[in-house]
Formats: sequence, C-alpha cells, structure tokens
Amino acid sequence: MGVTVLQPYPLPDGKSGAHIIDLLGKRLLSLGATHAGQFLVDCETFISTPQHGAPTRAVHVLHNSEYPASTFSMIDNGTGKQVSLVADNIFDLLMLKMTATFTSKKQTKIESRGARFEYGDFVIKLGSVTMMEHFKGILIEIEYRPCVMLSYCWEMIREMLQGFLGINVAKEYPSYFTTQTIINAMGQQQVHPKQNDIYEPMDTVKQYLEHFTNYRKHVQMHTAMGGTGGGGVGGPVVMGMQPSSVGGAGMGRA
Amino acid sequence: MSTVASARESLSHALQNRFLPNLEFLLQGSILDSAVEHLMHRLKGLCDNVDTSPETFHDLEVCMSLRQPNQNAPLTLRVRRALDRDAPFQMRYLGQPEVDQRKPTLVRSCMDCACTNGILEFLTEMGFRLDFEYIAKGFMFRKGRMKITVSKLIKIIPGKQQDNDPISQSYIVELSVVAPNGQESVGEEMRVFADQLKPLVQLEKIDYKRLP
Amino acid sequence: MQREDKHFEMTLDAVLTRLNDLKLAVHAMIQKLEMEYETINWPTFLDNFALISSHLTGLTKILAKEQCPPLRNRTVLPLLVSMDRDETLVNITEGRVPVFSHDIVPDYLRTRPDPITEQKMQQNEQKAANLTNDAAMKQVTQYNKVVSHVLDMVTKAREEWEIESSARIQQTSSISDTHLLVAALGMGKGLKMTMPMGGMPPMAGPGQMMVPPSIRAPSPMGGPGLSPGNVQQLGKAPSAVKTNIKSANQVHPFSR
Repeated sequence: MGVTVLQPYPLPDGKSGAHIIDLLGKRLLSLGATHAGQFLVDCETFISTPQHGAPTRAVHVLHNSEYPASTFSMIDNGTGKQVSLVADNIFDLLMLKMTATFTSKKQTKIESRGARFEYGDFVIKLGSVTMMEHFKGILIEIEYRPCVMLSYCWEMIREMLQGFLGINVAKEYPSYFTTQTIINAMGQQQVHPKQNDIYEPMDTVKQYLEHFTNYRKHVQMHTAMGGTGGGGVGGPVVMGMQPSSVGGAGMGRA
Repeated sequence: MSTVASARESLSHALQNRFLPNLEFLLQGSILDSAVEHLMHRLKGLCDNVDTSPETFHDLEVCMSLRQPNQNAPLTLRVRRALDRDAPFQMRYLGQPEVDQRKPTLVRSCMDCACTNGILEFLTEMGFRLDFEYIAKGFMFRKGRMKITVSKLIKIIPGKQQDNDPISQSYIVELSVVAPNGQESVGEEMRVFADQLKPLVQLEKIDYKRLP
Repeated sequence: MQREDKHFEMTLDAVLTRLNDLKLAVHAMIQKLEMEYETINWPTFLDNFALISSHLTGLTKILAKEQCPPLRNRTVLPLLVSMDRDETLVNITEGRVPVFSHDIVPDYLRTRPDPITEQKMQQNEQKAANLTNDAAMKQVTQYNKVVSHVLDMVTKAREEWEIESSARIQQTSSISDTHLLVAALGMGKGLKMTMPMGGMPPMAGPGQMMVPPSIRAPSPMGGPGLSPGNVQQLGKAPSAVKTNIKSANQVHPFSR
C-alpha cells in the first residue's frame, strides 16, 4: 500500500472517452508499463427517508477491487459531519436490512472501471466513469507504492503524471490533502493538512467519492436545465455531448 | 481480458452457491460458579484445542437498535470489541430465532462483519441508539466447527469501571455453529456433543422471547 | 397379529438374502483359493476377507436390531426325524445334508451345547457328584457369606454415589440462572436498568452516554492498513473525532 492520487483527465472536444483511454493506455505501454488486470471502484448512495426534525442523512457505500474483501462507507449526517467505516463485504447485506430507513438512489449508482497498469513502483489505473451506463469522464488513479506519506513523494507522482498525460499538473498538493478539516478537542473546526499523515485505503475511496459527487452534481444541474446526459446505452458515448466543464472543474482543483 | 466482478455480484454469488455462512445453530445453558472448574476439565478433554486451551476472551458487547418506519421490531445490531487484545470490532446481525420442534437446535440467521473502530459513531449517525451493553468474559473451546463458550456476563455500572457486577452466580454456556444454508445436519452433531456435557450442563434451545 | 407375521417374514427374508450373500462370498473365496492359489496376491485376498466381514456385519446388524418380534422368542422343533434319505432336503442344502437324523439334529438345531462347553459341564458335574453333602453345605454357606458381603459393599458404594451425584446435579446448573442469562443476552434484560437512557433526546449526538466510554478507550484499534483517517486523534479526544471533508460537503448533491 502506498500513496494514491486521483486525477481527472480533461476531455478535448470531439474526442470519445474510449479513444482517449486507448491512447493513454498505448502511451503507458510504450513507456514500458505492463498491463496488470482490470479494476473497478463503485459507489452507491443510500438516503434516509425524511423524518420529523432530522436532516437527511446519506450513506455512501463504495467498493474498490484493490481491496476485494472490504466495503467502504461514509455517512454524511446532513449537518456537515462525516464518519467513515471500513467493514467486511457482508456490510452490503446489512444495508439491505435497513431499506425501510435508507433507500438506495439507484439512478446515482456510479462507477469507475478500466485497465490497471504497473510501471516500476507505480500502479496506474485508467478509469472511465459511468453512471447508469452513461459515460461521465475519465479518472486517472496513480499510486506510488513504496511510500505512505504524500509529502515525501508528491513531486515524483506529479512528474510521472505530467510525463505520460502530457498535461500540466499544479505544483500544490491535490486539494483532497489540503482541505481536510477535523474538529479539535475544543469542538472547533480546524484545517488539517493530510499530506503528512499516513495514507490509508480509505483516503483513496474518499477521493473517489469526492469526484463521483462532482459528476453527479453536474447531472443534477443538467436535468434542472432541461438538458440531457447523453445517449447510447451499454457503452461510452461520444464526448462531444459532454460539457467541457466536467474536466475543467476537476483540473482547476488539481 | 476479463472484467472485474463487482462486490455485489460476488456477494450474491456466495449466497446462491451456499458458501456464505449465514445461519447460526445455537444451544444454550448455564453452569454455577462452583462447578465451572468441573466443566472446564470436561471441555478440555472433549475439545480440539487441547494444547492451547482454554482460549480466554474479554469482550464488550454493545447492542444498538434502529427503529424503522412501518416495522414492528427495531433492527438490532451488536458490536463487540475485545478488551484484552487488539482486534477489529465485530458487528453482528441476528435474525428472529426459529424454534422448530423437529430441529435439534435453535436456528437463526446471522451475519458477522468485522469493522473499523468508527462503527459505533457510524451507527449513531445512522440513527441507531444504544439498547444495552455488557461485558462477556470467559473461555472459548473448539470442536470441529463447533464453538463452545463459557462466559460470565458482567453488567456495566456507569462511572464504576473497576468493580462491575456479574449479573448472576452462573456462567452462560453456549454451543454454536455458523454455517451456510443447507447444512442442517450440523444440528445433530451439536446435540450429540451437548449430551456429552450432561448432567453438568443442560444445553437446550431456548427462545428468549418466550421466557417468563 | 397379521402385521407382526408380515414383519417377521420380512426380517427372515432379509436374513436369508444376507446369508446367501455371505455364502456366495465364502464360496468365491474358496474357489479363488483352490483355483488361483498360485497367482493370488495379498490385497485381493484381504479384499475378499473384507467382503465377507462386511456381509457378516450386515447380518449381525439385522439380527441385533430385532425390529421384528425377537427371533430368540421363537422355538424351532424337529417334528420329524427319520433315518431315510430325503430328496428335497438334499436339494435345498445343495447335497450337503442327505438325511435329517438324530445324529444331525443336535448340531444343526443347536439342541446340544458346544463340544467344549459340554466337556466342561461334564467335568463340573463329576466334581459335584464326588462331593459329600456336608462339605457342599459348608461351601455353599461360605460362598453365600462372601457374596452377601460383596453385595453389601456395592450397595453401600452405590448409595453414596447416588447421594453425591444427585447433590451435584442440583449444584452444577440452575434453570432460572440459564433463563436469566439468556434473557440478558437476547434482550438486555437486567442490563438496561442502570443506563440513564430514557431521557436521552433522540437527536443527541454520540455523547459519552451513547457510546460507552469503555468502548472508546485509547487503545489503538484496527490495523494501520484499514482504519479510517482519524485513528491518531482517537486517544486524545474520544468524542470529538469528526473528519470533515469541506470540498465534498460543499458540492454535496443531497444536503437539504
């Protein structure tokens, strides 16, 4: 286990997601990386049925094929507090026992899946994000395995990212690591820089959740505007349909 | 290139092919403090883990329940934490006991799930409320796939961490197996084992809902 | 009555088939020994033995079970004993027993004990005949004395053991305790009383009451690999571990 950074890849106009992924994969292979299986990260969100005086709570349940025996979940109690949990797979079945209280929002089921590459100490995953079979964007996961603290290896990860993606990656630590707040012993919120913390699998999952939430938000905006998510069922659709802001928003954060 | 199966898919696969242990077969009884040594000797002789036995445990169990709309009984989850060693928290769901006269043991659905230590806070945020809690301290034996525990139940008195009260002058003795669906034969195996502990302990199927 | 008869017949049939199996097996074995004594090897020989012994076990099982009215309650009487050759008998015994005569009856119907037993009986009878009346009486009284003494000892030990064991049965477990403990495990009976939970407002956060202090003791729980991000702070501020992801929260689609 090492440090993982999740990087959205901006899609140029007129190019399909499959095309870009293909291109990036070829680039990795020609660099000397080896293809090492597939990966899948999925997320399902359960919403509490409204009750008197209680804010709506959301339970996000995620799986990461890198940790096949675990289920990751985050609860958002509606007042800004989040609690995370790592549990055995069987947690999924327990969630089904609570359907009277927590119902799954099936239409927001979202996942990132694709090929997994190994390149020396790096593991790179090229994920295409789909929600309800609709293509949403590309998320690139890069893990540097020998290290467990971002501050020690961020430069190396950044170098690697720029190298094969061919885009400029900001020098600052990714926003996930700098904007974490904790509540201190006095009960006050405090910004807690995470780049010096020991990295944990939950951090990867939290990054995915952050990006997934962004993708979902865009859909909501579009449906609100009377727009459409885009066409074909059963495969990635042409990217021209997608608003360029999907990639743009992610890039601004990096 | 084969694609990765999603976690939900592999879970339902495990359920369908009956290798997900989700049924608990249970017999319960008790033994007075004065006779517990006697029982321990017998269990040492009968059980598998002779060289290492008895394995001790000291757990805190917290029972949390969630009232759900349109449902009579609240959903109850039990969270167990080992006080004597570093181990993940264990969350357990137990279904309604099925007391079938023809079956030799009590049968109920059961799901065990190891968790990180945020589980209690997580459940609280989900709306679960503490129902009751106690400390179980005792010994564990194994015989094949059967598990035998001899434990003292201790009531927790708030503010008094040290001298908590045992709730009875007896140890509770439980004989259980958690097995996948369709392995009902294990009940007979348990019955035979329970007979070997007579007359020291009477292990029986007891439905706690029907107790006086 | 009829059902009993039917049952009896069924058992007899079963015994008969078993016997036939056994006979065939023995037959095959003998044949093998006679015909193939030069080529036969130990494993096949032992296999044959195993076969025979399994047939024997099957037979004893049927006899031991005695699902039917016990066979030993039946009496078999030789109705006709004759010195003449009996063709049907020759047939059904495959030529082994041509005549059902006085010579044969004791062996085949077991009206006589084993030769060894018979010999012993005779010896004893001789001994008894040689004894004088007085000596016999003396021995009998002596023997009675010894036996009654042993009987006394056994009954005494048994009484003691019974008292002890009945006392112990009462001591080792109590049904009321069992019920108390099972109810406590199942429903928390007797465990809830001391918790001041009743007045807790439903929306209260995870205060110290909700999550008992003992469960949050500052021992480092969970392996470093799979614990959530707040492990380090857990010890210092038990109730205040709240990881908040601001960015995710701002863009959260489901809040309010």
